[in-house]
Amino acid sequence: MSGEAIQSVLIVGGGTAGWMTAAALARAFPHRSLRITLVESEEIGIVGVGEATVPILQQLNRFLGVDEREFLKATHGTYKLGIEFREWGQQGTHFFHGFGDYGPLIQGMQPHQHWLKLRELGDRSPIDDYSMPSAMARRGRFAIPPATAQNPAISFNYAFHFDASLYGRFLRSCAEALGVERVEGKIVDVPLHPESGSIDHVTLADGRELSADLFVDCSGFRGLLIEQALETGYDDWRHWLPCDSAIAVGSEVTSAPTPFTRSTAQRAGWQWRIPLQHRVGNGHVYSSAFISDDEAADTLLENLESKPIGEPRLLRFTAGRRKKMWNKNCVAVGLAAGFMEPLESTSIQLIQSAAVRLIDYFPRRGFDSVAIDEYNRVTANEHERIRDFLIAHYCLSQRTDHDFWKECAASAVPDTLKHKIELFAATGKVPLYSEESYQEPSWVAILLGNGVLPKSYHPFVDYIPTDELRRMFRERRGELVRAAESMPTHEAFIERFCLAQAA
Amino acid sequence: MTEPIRSVVIAGGGTAGWMAAAALSKALPPERLKITLVESEEIGIVGVGEATIPIIQLFNQLLNIDEDEFVRATKGTFKLGIEFVDWLRPGHRYFHPFGRFGDDFGVTPFHQQWLRARAFGYPVPLGDFSLNTVAALQGRFQRASADSSPVFNTFGHAYHFDASLYAKFLRGYAEAHGVERIEGKIAEVNLRADDGHIESLGLEDGRTLDGEFFIDCTGFRALLIGKALGVGYEDWSAYLPCDRALAVPTERVADPLPYTRSTARSAGWQWRIPLQHRTGNGYVYCSRFISDEDARTELLANLDAPPLADPRPLRFVTGRREESWRKNCVSLGLASGFLEPLESTSIHLIQTGITKLASLFPDRGFDPAVIREYNRQAREEAESIRDFLVLHYHATERSGHPFWDYCRTMPVPDTLAYKLELFRSSGRYPELGYDLFKLTSWVAVMIGQGIDPQAFDPMVDSVAPRDADRVLSGMRAVIAQAAQQMPSHQQFIDRHCRAADAPAHTQAMKMEV
Repeated sequence: MSGEAIQSVLIVGGGTAGWMTAAALARAFPHRSLRITLVESEEIGIVGVGEATVPILQQLNRFLGVDEREFLKATHGTYKLGIEFREWGQQGTHFFHGFGDYGPLIQGMQPHQHWLKLRELGDRSPIDDYSMPSAMARRGRFAIPPATAQNPAISFNYAFHFDASLYGRFLRSCAEALGVERVEGKIVDVPLHPESGSIDHVTLADGRELSADLFVDCSGFRGLLIEQALETGYDDWRHWLPCDSAIAVGSEVTSAPTPFTRSTAQRAGWQWRIPLQHRVGNGHVYSSAFISDDEAADTLLENLESKPIGEPRLLRFTAGRRKKMWNKNCVAVGLAAGFMEPLESTSIQLIQSAAVRLIDYFPRRGFDSVAIDEYNRVTANEHERIRDFLIAHYCLSQRTDHDFWKECAASAVPDTLKHKIELFAATGKVPLYSEESYQEPSWVAILLGNGVLPKSYHPFVDYIPTDELRRMFRERRGELVRAAESMPTHEAFIERFCLAQAA
Repeated sequence: MTEPIRSVVIAGGGTAGWMAAAALSKALPPERLKITLVESEEIGIVGVGEATIPIIQLFNQLLNIDEDEFVRATKGTFKLGIEFVDWLRPGHRYFHPFGRFGDDFGVTPFHQQWLRARAFGYPVPLGDFSLNTVAALQGRFQRASADSSPVFNTFGHAYHFDASLYAKFLRGYAEAHGVERIEGKIAEVNLRADDGHIESLGLEDGRTLDGEFFIDCTGFRALLIGKALGVGYEDWSAYLPCDRALAVPTERVADPLPYTRSTARSAGWQWRIPLQHRTGNGYVYCSRFISDEDARTELLANLDAPPLADPRPLRFVTGRREESWRKNCVSLGLASGFLEPLESTSIHLIQTGITKLASLFPDRGFDPAVIREYNRQAREEAESIRDFLVLHYHATERSGHPFWDYCRTMPVPDTLAYKLELFRSSGRYPELGYDLFKLTSWVAVMIGQGIDPQAFDPMVDSVAPRDADRVLSGMRAVIAQAAQQMPSHQQFIDRHCRAADAPAHTQAMKMEV
């Protein structure tokens, strides 16, 4: 066998990326068969914008053996059925991107095809009427979906909102229980090996040196190892995703928590609203080329539903990705690997999939370059597919009220996305490529929501007589309403199962 | 506003034409879509595709075809995989099963655990962890059902059948669903002056067939997509040099085996496909390295029973149509490309072509995005299969024959080189876009063709070697027991789906060595 086993890993930086990677690796190598050290400094804050997630986090919880309710208690978390988009596409409109579909296949076809036919015949019921998560969200209801699909019509999935700094702490306790060692310290130097150019060790401010076989860079935007030491390079995507700043602020809880995130388009960006148990997270993501930081802060504060807690926090970023997420003996995870705005809450998902992929492609000390290439190829694809999904939110805008939106609509988009939009516009089908995080129903939500109405529906839809189709759709609407109304409210569900001590 | 297609003309019968006709007739009623198929009894069908892969079950389900009825009508048998004999080197054999190996345990795929065990001297071959392989080599078959033991989750099957009976079977289905068959020979393809779309087909007897949408199932000749519309052909014979085949049926000598056998020969390979009433045989070879006469002699010398006819010659060029769909014409079957039958992908490609067509069924506007998407998927699919086939020829130790020396040393497509390199270094397999053959298939053939990973996945060490050996031995025992409890393949056929004029159990299973 070529190459000895990796004995030690040094993770640079705490926060969600660092502690999640630490916990996942420690879980994958049981009995402390791999020495995992995480170095972080209490002086450096974490970015922690990722307060909302996508359903795949459930898999990580299962892998780590985390009890979901304990996890929500510890992070003051709530449940999330999807995202409500307001004012996107056109002013005055709204739509829901739910974690679910628009119903089971009908004659082997996605039900939105049949919906398109009914619409052509004058039925004006919105597509959201056929989405279970939307029906629940609208009524503020929540329940855990049954483990096996007892009724395929009622299918939905869920994710979480939580306090990112509490989540970091929670993951830290999971990781430490699994044997990860934490070192407090600030890194001042990252010397490279003179021959190989790999990272040799990191030097801390107090003079200590930490070395390892494998380094994981979770140092955030700065990319202390992957960029500052290894000079890997960064693909800038700002011409596609122009927002480069965010201002975040918490606000008081004055109403029952909604089981969904809200995203409201503003004149040069958009604003998020994420309900937690003890506060509401808010933020304004914008392009600094179109409005000033002060204007952005004013917009944010004007649109709060309740009193702010603390001072707004400003963040700057550059949308894009590291040219190689894995370079030599260093893997970048989290913001060090790339940044995309939190529009679809993909930051934590990308951390999770990077950690899982690192386990899949775990190296030996020889650092086989083919395996590294494959890791980078798949990771790059994953980032690019999400990038396309985010661009689709902007480029389809028909808003003409502000230059920001006009420019978004006029900008060129990647060919992969162009093809998707054109095919959908022609047929209602969405072509999917490798490493897509979002499947057809999600694309349908965003494309329809932003006003792309396919020119025609699938011809085979006509196999079902129109009256029959009308009856099926009427029944589905009723069934979803009944099912949603039979569920507890989100607030009651949290109170019963996962209320945090302080909340 | 939609402008639905109201009429489709399918040019050519055979497996491709009738599969398309049957599927489309199921999708829309005749008053919504008029389907006409034109074929000539004078033109034979190629029908080399006598073996299939498991996805064909989906097609049958789509059409609500009962499996037993279908097997009976086509004198078919069940296929658990393919045995490759002498491919790595003379005297060597391995099995490509149509079901998974073992069960994943820990956080790594099964074969990684097996690789480590083997590196530490565990002597059990990979095939022992495949229920398909174990059952096949014992000549057994059982259909998995809802109350089968969980080990049947790893079990899969496809079919061998008589391709001309299959076309007849599908024709019956299609005609019952309103497809009109026209007997006639196509003399000309008329194009519209303004946009170059196909307007109609002119038959030799002077009749004209109008249509809005045309499906070219005319085989190698590609009368519509190639000759009339001028779509070129991408030649892959540098990678897959075989260009001829001789096919010959032989008498049934024993109970049919539940698998295809492929045996390497001096300038190609020989297939053996057992049906209920006879055995299909053929030699796929490269005319640059062997004469037709020598190929014929080599084939006839390697039959296990007397031939029932003279060997039938076939010529082909491996490759694919540069665009499977252009304007208002989509090509299926050999008109859209030819990949030799080494992994029985011909019928599969027809089936996925139909599935793609159903999913992207156009309207009269023929939106370019639809055609672009169809062609994109078709290309990815054909290239992934090409790579898989090239692997069989290229990764070999056979030497001394000029044909094999060429294959062993030829440059391979970059995508395959990448897959080989990654597997060789750590036993990992990358999925590059759409890939028909999944991990199990690639692992079976990579290992079978002697690609030895230099390392196993380090994560394997998360399970202690002693624990792993215990799990492996347990799996092997479960699989051995499940296979033992199955009836013989012939017993199963006798019980469920024997054709009226096919013999029942002939004699004690004779296993060739």
